[in-house]
Amino acid sequence: MSIRGKAAIVGIGETPTDRLGSKPGEPRKSSAEYLSWALHLALADAGLRLKDFNGQGLGVTIPTAYPQPFWPEEVAEILGITPGFLFAGGTGGAGSVSLLGQMGAGIASGMIDLALGIGAAAPFAEHHGGGLQPGDMRDFEIPFGTMGANSKIAMVMRRHMHEYGTTLDHLGKIAVAGRYHASLNPAAYLRKPITIQDYKDSRLVADPVRLLDCVLPANGGKAYILASPERAKKLRKPPVYVKGFGERSNPSYGPRAGSDALVMGIKDAGKVAMEMAEIKHSDINFLQLYDDYVIVVYLQIEDLGFCAKGDLSYFERTDFTFKGQLPIQTGGGMINCGQPSTAGGTLHVLEAVRQLRGEGGERQVPGAKTGLVSGLGVLPYGKNLGCCAVAVLGTEP
Amino acid sequence: MAEATLKKPLPVLTSEAKPFWDAAAQQKLVMQRCQDCRAYIWTPRPACFECGSERVEWTQLSGKGQVYSFTVIRQVVGRAASKAFEPDVPYVVAWIDLDEGPRMISNVIGSPVEDVKLGMKVAVVFEQQSPEVWLPKFKPMVS
Repeated sequence: MSIRGKAAIVGIGETPTDRLGSKPGEPRKSSAEYLSWALHLALADAGLRLKDFNGQGLGVTIPTAYPQPFWPEEVAEILGITPGFLFAGGTGGAGSVSLLGQMGAGIASGMIDLALGIGAAAPFAEHHGGGLQPGDMRDFEIPFGTMGANSKIAMVMRRHMHEYGTTLDHLGKIAVAGRYHASLNPAAYLRKPITIQDYKDSRLVADPVRLLDCVLPANGGKAYILASPERAKKLRKPPVYVKGFGERSNPSYGPRAGSDALVMGIKDAGKVAMEMAEIKHSDINFLQLYDDYVIVVYLQIEDLGFCAKGDLSYFERTDFTFKGQLPIQTGGGMINCGQPSTAGGTLHVLEAVRQLRGEGGERQVPGAKTGLVSGLGVLPYGKNLGCCAVAVLGTEP
Repeated sequence: MAEATLKKPLPVLTSEAKPFWDAAAQQKLVMQRCQDCRAYIWTPRPACFECGSERVEWTQLSGKGQVYSFTVIRQVVGRAASKAFEPDVPYVVAWIDLDEGPRMISNVIGSPVEDVKLGMKVAVVFEQQSPEVWLPKFKPMVS
């Protein structure tokens, strides 16, 4: 079963991101307000009305700090939609890419011909408490004083440096390319260009993870609208087709009790997505990779097969800017634009759409026709990331 | 409540993990092993997560292993309960590859944090946290 060319993105909406609300008296917005804002931006972009979504698809990413199991339905209530097919983006930060597959399959089935993918979070403005933790984390990690994702990724990064000789110069190149693109993106949050030396000099957060390795938590909302190709052709913006989709949750490389922590499920999710799209690596004009940390971007480039594992020379010779051989993070990524919890990953879908429409402004990848987007979520015991989703998007079905 | 009196978060003694914690209280490191495919199962599971067999048995391990990777916690962040770890800073959170194969998250103790290295050989010791809970931690082996 393939969903190649059977659904297309026809509208996008992205609110500005901010970090307001942590200080008393600071202006603040709720998740509901960011959701509504993102929705109305997407409706205006697509030329659709709220009513068009009744009886159609609604997919909602479930944020980490809002432990309310009926959240997707509550979002329908907030927005005033009566969906005929309610999708829950429950793969953490991979949610928005997962929803491209879920809702794309819904549209391909013919049961619906329109779907809204949406997510928002306001971690600085709303305080829901810590929420529940997965059992393994609660029982076998936290009692040892682990400090969340930073600790886990620090161990991944140190092991990669140990096994392959990866240096801060290799990793810093990813950070510098992302910030360079952010400097060309008026919607980015961190826009001052940085050098490799700035990266090396940034504060150690969780040795060897530094401040400029880490994603930037933020408030914000993001949305996209997916339609059947027939419906897409009648709308105002050029359709951006879902050409391929692949997902792996709970991946394991080696025994499950001791998986290779340097390989990501992106390896298989990417292969499936690229096979569905019937494309080669050389057909891909850009990558928008889920970026909670710089090392995670690095691992994905390896695992997608752009180079062999541990091939340092590939990273030394490749230009990752929008003018280069393999443009990545062309809007600056979440590291520079902000991460509103699990809605953050939607940023990569939206930037891919802009590039494929030719709306990339000063950072437009020349002649972009095909791009690859990834989403990652969840940090399971003993592994890197537990939910890995990949979509190939393009100007042609 | 003063930070110094904050209690560290303890594991929930779930029914599938209780034999692990019971053994730890006896200074023994045990894990489930599948009697059909012989895979080790960690963390505790209701059945084998490799082949699906329900014939799993608790097996004692050597308690020896090596450091696969680690980080040094120099600052507590995030959840309120993390504050209870402040007096321990700096400390090492590590992935330990046990000689039998499974990988555990634990702490390397009994060594200056600067001396912890990847590949360092370590052996389990148990630290009591509550009447029921003894946490398996790892100390460098004297060569």
